[in-house]
Amino acid sequence: MPGGKKAESEEINNKKYSRRDFLVTGGTVVAVDALVSGVPAIAAPTPAAKETIPVSKGYLVYDSKKCAGCTTCMLACSLTHYGVHSLSLSRIQIMQDSFGKFPDDIKMAPCRQCVTPPCVINCPVGAAYVDTKNGNVRRIDSNKCIGCKTCIKMCPQQPHRTVWNPELKPMGKSSKCDLCIDTAAYWNEKGGPGGKQACVESCPFKALKFVAETPDQTETNGYDVKLRNEHWFKLGFVDEDQPPGTGGGGGGGGFGGGGGAPKSKIPAAKPKE
Amino acid sequence: MPGGYTGKILRVNLTTKEISKIDTAKYEEFGGGHGIGSAVFFDLVGGQLPFTAFDPRNMVIMMASPFAGTFMPGSGRTEVQGLGPGLYPIEWFAHSNFGGRFTAQLKFAGWDGVVVEGASDQPVWINIINDQVKIENAANGIWGMDTWDTQQEISRRVNPKIHHGEWAELASNCYSTQVPAVVCCGPAGERKSRVACLLHGPGSQAALCGFGGVFGSKNLKAISAIGSGSVPIADPKAYMDARLWFRQFQWDVDDPRDPQIFEQGYSLIKGAPKGGNVSNSDRVPSRAAACASCPRGCKERLATADSNEAVCAGTMFARIGGGGFGGGGGAKTAPGASAGAGMPQALSAKLTRQANDLMHRYGLGHWQLMATQSYIQFLTRQGVIGKGKDIDPDLPPSGTYAYFEALIRKISLREGPFGEWAAEAAARMAEKLGRYKDDVNSGNLKLTYWGTQEHYTTQVQVEWGYGSLLGERDLMIHAMANYPLHWMAQERNQYLTAEESSKLYSEAMVPYNDRYIVDYGLSPETGIYSDSKVKLVAWTKHYEKFWIGQGFCGWRWPQCITNNTADRRGATPSAEPRFWNAVTGKKLTFADCMEIGHKIYTLDRSIWVLQGRTRDLETFPDYIYDKPSGGNILPMVIDGKWVYNEGSGRKLDRAKFEDFKTRFYKFEGYGENGYPTRATLEKMNMKKLADTLQSKDKLG
Ligand code: SF4
Repeated sequence: MPGGKKAESEEINNKKYSRRDFLVTGGTVVAVDALVSGVPAIAAPTPAAKETIPVSKGYLVYDSKKCAGCTTCMLACSLTHYGVHSLSLSRIQIMQDSFGKFPDDIKMAPCRQCVTPPCVINCPVGAAYVDTKNGNVRRIDSNKCIGCKTCIKMCPQQPHRTVWNPELKPMGKSSKCDLCIDTAAYWNEKGGPGGKQACVESCPFKALKFVAETPDQTETNGYDVKLRNEHWFKLGFVDEDQPPGTGGGGGGGGFGGGGGAPKSKIPAAKPKE
Repeated sequence: MPGGYTGKILRVNLTTKEISKIDTAKYEEFGGGHGIGSAVFFDLVGGQLPFTAFDPRNMVIMMASPFAGTFMPGSGRTEVQGLGPGLYPIEWFAHSNFGGRFTAQLKFAGWDGVVVEGASDQPVWINIINDQVKIENAANGIWGMDTWDTQQEISRRVNPKIHHGEWAELASNCYSTQVPAVVCCGPAGERKSRVACLLHGPGSQAALCGFGGVFGSKNLKAISAIGSGSVPIADPKAYMDARLWFRQFQWDVDDPRDPQIFEQGYSLIKGAPKGGNVSNSDRVPSRAAACASCPRGCKERLATADSNEAVCAGTMFARIGGGGFGGGGGAKTAPGASAGAGMPQALSAKLTRQANDLMHRYGLGHWQLMATQSYIQFLTRQGVIGKGKDIDPDLPPSGTYAYFEALIRKISLREGPFGEWAAEAAARMAEKLGRYKDDVNSGNLKLTYWGTQEHYTTQVQVEWGYGSLLGERDLMIHAMANYPLHWMAQERNQYLTAEESSKLYSEAMVPYNDRYIVDYGLSPETGIYSDSKVKLVAWTKHYEKFWIGQGFCGWRWPQCITNNTADRRGATPSAEPRFWNAVTGKKLTFADCMEIGHKIYTLDRSIWVLQGRTRDLETFPDYIYDKPSGGNILPMVIDGKWVYNEGSGRKLDRAKFEDFKTRFYKFEGYGENGYPTRATLEKMNMKKLADTLQSKDKLG
């Protein structure tokens, strides 16, 4: 069951705090306390924080028009991190409204490994940290996490990318995407920025991708990119860049193919019956 | 319990309002899903059979499997069991299944299945949030709603804080971003229509057996499940390895194998995304939509949100102005496609989708509705019903939106004498007119197996025909030998010769590995009456009971050949036990599991025997024996050579088929009367079942 394993390795949490870090972090703790107690506040990182925190060397980008909502990625995430299948424990969240209109029927929510990570900046005990030994991935050390949910409240994304794990003792702790650094107990592949990511590897629709370059931080769609190539459109999907009638896409998507190629001739064996 | 199970099955008695648990461990020997459902049914009410489908003793059983809630590819369906009011002449203990994410949520809520018995005096729905289960009032606005509104309203009532794209607290300290998975009946089910389906999402139906009517008979509108828990996996590393290993058997969306062959159409059959919705012929922008853990995504969700998640018959019952199935050159013509030619294609497609959506919203099962509609049109043409007759459909011109709207509404609401009659589904409609024997035996009404319509040519695609008759309903396992063999050969691009494909099939079909198992020819030694076909039908039924019964998709499994691998070898039989053992921690071989499938088939068969199944009943209508068949291209040996051939013009030979049945019964361990023998049952550790059959003098 989840929590049975040491969920985040502590050996890498040896981040050295500069005085500037400390000031920034400490200064924000005040704001966090105010937020937790109900006063609206924005954890706007200061210019100082931006200068101090090195950018992650890896990111997950996705194509929200390619995702089919199978949730395989979520289950791969929980399996490789906790040894169980659970949607609630997954650090990538895929949400869908079956009755909704494409493309808004699906929302994809992997962690952005923010350049200026509010979870790291605002954690009052340093449990959320930048793992400088592993590509600067933003991580949470569950051994240090006190379960105050500050990182969850401070994540500006909707839904928040920090994920509550109620099964970690004593009352639950936060977790977040580590780009699969900490999966050795449940996965035979090496994870992390230089390795593989369980969600990317398992997605049958190749709607997720690991990239080293930092996506545009100002817009959500800096992460929501086009991963569909010509083969996708040959299945009959409409390419928004080349709508029908402009030469984009292919036919032949359906049963009977909408007319595609002519039927092959069945070898003319004479029935003898 | 081994991995994969949560350890408890939810039991809800709607008469007494009692909510209790059954230990899953008690039924572990049946594997999961269908097998456990059958065993629970027999244990709880088997001794009281026969009774009718609308008797409160009937049950609705939705049993998840160890795979539910995991990423086993194509295992996201929900198996529904109980007596099926849509079947004929006896409402057999039957199964139907629907796609989506219901059993996944049931497992995350901590349940291996749900068993509903009794009947409520007031309309109710069942609310499952983790281990909190409540019988909720449905009389306050939900009863009477269509299936779509029902699901969305229940979602709001389960947790008003749930919004698409946000976390919500389901229970103290437990969170989810998901919306509840709701399965419900529509107005048709509320009125106990035998055509009524269960619907989950906008288009995923358990269509075939009339289970919507069983919900209605219990005053049960819906079951909702949502959970924030987890499914234990016995060997996570092995499970993850298995999932990544399996990628070779999937359509590679970025870099498909042999695109020059397989991108020429054929989407549904080659296992690529899309293709299940045949009504998006005007190419509205859409996404592929997958059931839980499906690597294929045959469904679509459209920018217009019409026909969302509906597939195949769910998008081809209604066809307006040529916009649906075959619109633009498809293979078959849907019934009712007679008016509106010349309509702009976009309008035709849109109206087609919306008319089919009405069917889902009213909660009518597509496959039975098709047969019902065809029969209405036949009788109208014959002048049996119509103006001035006892039954007057009084419908607008066929093929128009108004026609489908009126037809669907009248049947669902049982409007007038016509609606009352048509709500009983084709078999009982014919019976009420005193025409059943004539119309079915002549082939005017092709209800070939148990009130369900002939699907593929019985005399050629025999695992489908025989397998349905020796079961309880239309077999409906396309991936067995229909998409991969028939449609591969039929459509275009025969990427394997008949010799090659038949060889791969025989190698995949453990434990028989009969070289002629898919010889659909007429050779006495290896053809459609031979022992090779005894094995084919047995294999199909055992696979159906064990593997399909785990919530596997019959459009995905089995996979004996595939266009996705270099050697065209499919994932069967290596994938199934690999995943099974990793999730459960057991060490079963494929053959072990097939033997459990044999046991489950024997259990189901015993239940049918208790309901009145006899050897004589296992006979096709006369037209199958007396009238020349159509064709159904398949591999067969002709003049000593493997070829693809249609096999058209056949008449099934009565004596040879009876002999086939005798050999099939013997092969399965049953007597000549088709009843399981005591020796067989005891060998399978089902002594209580043997005693029950003996007490009714029904042992083989
Ligand atoms: S595995 Fe891929 S297609 Fe499936 S939900 Fe995740 S991102 Fe979407």
